[in-house]
Amino acid sequence: MPSSDSEDFESADEGQSYEKKDRKKRLSSSNYSDNALESDQNVAKSAAQSSNVGKPADKQQDADGWDDFDIDDNDTNIATASDRNDNKSKSSVSTKPAVKESNTGWDDFDDWGQDDGYSNAPREPAKPKLAELDAELNAIKDKMAPTPAPAPAPTGGGWGWSMHSLLNTATAGITTLTSQVSQGITTVLETGIGAPEPEELARKASQIKESKPSSSSNTPSVEQVPESASAQSKDGDGAYLPFGNLISGVTKFVETTGPKVISGGLDTLETIGKKTMEILQDGDPGLVKKRAMLGLSSEDKPVLSQVLREAREKAEQEEDKTEGVVEEKRVVEVVNYENLFNDFDGPVYLEALKLLSSQTSMRIEEQKRTLDAANRQAMEETLEMVVEIYELPEKEEDEDDEPSPEGPKPDAFHERLQAATQDLSIKLQFQPVVKQYKEVLDWLSNTEDVTVDVIYKQAVSSLAQATSLSMHLYHKTSELILASKIRSTVDESTALSQLTVVLRKHISDLAAQFAEKLNSISADNKQQVNEYITNIFLEAGNSSTYLETAFQLALPIIQIGAI
Amino acid sequence: MVDPIFDYQFRLILIGDSTVGKSSLLKYFTDGKFAELSDPTVGVDFFARIIEVQDGTRIKLQLWDTAGQERFRSITKSYYRNSVGALLVYDVCNRSSFEHIPLWMMEAKRHIEPHRPVFALVGCKVDLVGTDNKNGARREVTCEEARLFAEENGLHHVETSAKTGLNVEQAFVLVAQEVYNRIQTGEYKVEDGWDGIKTGFNRPNGMDFNLLEAETVQSTCC
Repeated sequence: MPSSDSEDFESADEGQSYEKKDRKKRLSSSNYSDNALESDQNVAKSAAQSSNVGKPADKQQDADGWDDFDIDDNDTNIATASDRNDNKSKSSVSTKPAVKESNTGWDDFDDWGQDDGYSNAPREPAKPKLAELDAELNAIKDKMAPTPAPAPAPTGGGWGWSMHSLLNTATAGITTLTSQVSQGITTVLETGIGAPEPEELARKASQIKESKPSSSSNTPSVEQVPESASAQSKDGDGAYLPFGNLISGVTKFVETTGPKVISGGLDTLETIGKKTMEILQDGDPGLVKKRAMLGLSSEDKPVLSQVLREAREKAEQEEDKTEGVVEEKRVVEVVNYENLFNDFDGPVYLEALKLLSSQTSMRIEEQKRTLDAANRQAMEETLEMVVEIYELPEKEEDEDDEPSPEGPKPDAFHERLQAATQDLSIKLQFQPVVKQYKEVLDWLSNTEDVTVDVIYKQAVSSLAQATSLSMHLYHKTSELILASKIRSTVDESTALSQLTVVLRKHISDLAAQFAEKLNSISADNKQQVNEYITNIFLEAGNSSTYLETAFQLALPIIQIGAI
Repeated sequence: MVDPIFDYQFRLILIGDSTVGKSSLLKYFTDGKFAELSDPTVGVDFFARIIEVQDGTRIKLQLWDTAGQERFRSITKSYYRNSVGALLVYDVCNRSSFEHIPLWMMEAKRHIEPHRPVFALVGCKVDLVGTDNKNGARREVTCEEARLFAEENGLHHVETSAKTGLNVEQAFVLVAQEVYNRIQTGEYKVEDGWDGIKTGFNRPNGMDFNLLEAETVQSTCC
């Protein structure tokens, strides 16, 4: 295309070094970016400040919210699992004294179902269920009585007898079943039906008994039922066994022999049970929390409150985290690796490298097409050979050669870059990336009294910039290798691989230094610091991925030199 | 956003013989500076600037400055594809650089296909004209013949000086406006997988449009 005229023209400057030009260019281009960055930093700073200001107030409010919640059970605003736990156990705690004080616990029972604001959703189905259960219980009692005792008109002896046989049956049933289906029972009994039900049923039973003077002596034991319910299922004996086991037995029967025993109510019961389970499991999969809580309730109340405290703390932490996420989002909106990478022209360099890579691949394919089968085979083998030569060492191997850096770190970095690429017949320009490293180190050593947000932003920005400059380096190296008249596949492969090792190390060094800087700050929010450090290393990983991508993109450039 | 807000990003590529002044033109456009000495471009370099077109729409121009040197010719070919505009740059004091313009234009058309870029013919170094006694810098390309060529090929034409800044801005605004007009008429679209035109970050609503009209672009020579 060019006439001889222009050839002459061009050859005049052919040998000139591009160094100075390139440096100037980078300077100007980085000025542009720096400005953008600076203004952005201000934004970040003010955002961070404002969020710092806002935070204590938020926290205070948050704590208040919890206190309110404690005082006012009708507070229904938050429906987290732990809230429900909180409410549920609170109510079971509050009902317990009622059991002791009044044996006619029926009123309590009704209250119990209503006294919680939260119960609108989760408790409503439980009420009919309990009523249902009472009915069913009676039915079961009746059926389980060996003799067709006239249930509607129970006599003292009749009831006592019935209870006794029921007890035997239930005990037998439960001792085998506890071990076999302890999981199922625990789930159904302790949570599905729940701790309140044993109490209620016990109270009900005691009420029935109390109406009979003969069984009134059992009353004291009734009081202990709720608390020892789970102990009973283990022991399987004791005076208060009947009621605990009765309930277990009933549950089990409902579950297993239900269709035979109670055909009519089962469907309803099942629906209600399922619904209740759903509600109870909502936000508490596997009912882990509730089970833990209720399992402990028989042990001691302090333990229960311990559980509650823990639950609350956990909820508070979650709340904090949610708040933190919102706040973090604000920082993240500003500190976005990809955006910063974009600002430093990283994607443009990468795209240029991609264009170069794909065009070179096309040229290789074109060449391949012009060859006959044998030569094509040979060429493919050559290409394959280059692929084998052209590889990165494992990351672990990087760590071998880290002699104590003599002199200033940027100089050592520069030397490493030069050493890595010394076998290339091209002159590469490392100034931009070395200069940036120097700037980062200066910033780190001269910056004091800054918030963690500022450090974090600087860290991500520095990583993005270093990565971007590395992309530029890969791109320029590829261009120069392509334009070079002397090609050596092995030297080029080694150089690019070594270059990648050096740059990869450089990136992790940057990340480590910023992490160190963050750790050196005595921040009140240690969690935030840790999150930032995690993010920094995450972004460093991101950077490494870019380096590896760029390294791979250069493959065709090496390959075309080999054929 | 970190990036200054813009509505569109256009990618323009500068092509032309070595030493005609592509990099100097870009440097002046993006930095407002002129470097007496500069080294030849290796492969491609990148510049960027945001400008406004006539209705106040903000356009980020991503400018790819290609090496004019022959030894990079096969490399620079790779970079044409994603361009929506091409500035064909010649030196008004270098006849051959003008004579190569048709070749550059064909090269660009071929590599940008199937897309049809906006072309502008940009003469550089008009500041040298008139100081023709010393360094042998005398005008070798008249404005008339350049304009004639531009008209024949449907190009915009402008003569510039990166030293005095004459028409530098116009050279780019001209192309950007034309690209923008073609977007308005539906001739150009934002396409996936083609980076010639991209949409930028949305302007926050309620932001006042700076209705600073770009200067009416006219060929200022002749």
